[in-house]
Amino acid sequence: MSQSSELRRTVTLPAGVPLHARPAGNLVRAAAALDATVMLSANERTANASSILQVLALGAEGGATVEVVTSGPGASEALDAIAGLLEALE
Amino acid sequence: MIGIVLVSHSAALAEGLSELVGQVSGEDVRVRPAGGSGDGGLGTDPDRIAAAIRAADTGSGVVVLVDIGSAVLSVKAILAGGDVGGIDVRLADAPLVEGAVAASVLAATGADLAAVAAAAEEARDVAKL
Repeated sequence: MSQSSELRRTVTLPAGVPLHARPAGNLVRAAAALDATVMLSANERTANASSILQVLALGAEGGATVEVVTSGPGASEALDAIAGLLEALE
Repeated sequence: MIGIVLVSHSAALAEGLSELVGQVSGEDVRVRPAGGSGDGGLGTDPDRIAAAIRAADTGSGVVVLVDIGSAVLSVKAILAGGDVGGIDVRLADAPLVEGAVAASVLAATGADLAAVAAAAEEARDVAKL
């Protein structure tokens, strides 16, 4: 199957809820179940969502803007899933 | 699912890290601490490490992370001695805390032994700040 083009969406983390270790772990596990490459950008850094250490190194605080970029056969589903997960962090 | 063994000279360190890692990776991954010497002091105990490796294995293999110095030698001695024969064990050249978090989260995704070990070792190159 040919590589589909990238999809991107910018989301805002809930106020006061940083992307810390536990939710980052949930995010990595969710991303692994998707048939897509998921990249996150925040604070001028980029992380592959398959690496919890990269995700944590984004240093995304509550209220931060995170860009989600997905590619691959399941890019559309992945964009909805990961963007939704980030917006619903608690 | 790949199991994770955390070897430290300190039982408290290994157990505390095991608790932390479990919180991040979820309950599905077998993370087993192997800290301290046989008499309860600081050190590493081959029997304790071997038991942890056996307890962590689900048949898919185990990634072992160590803190410093002789912990490496203790693990290598166990692997050479055949005490855990039949279990596919990979000793990761990785920082203990970050490596344990990275490895266990990847293990939770169902990744294979090579990928989980690689995730641990990638921790050497991921900036913390």
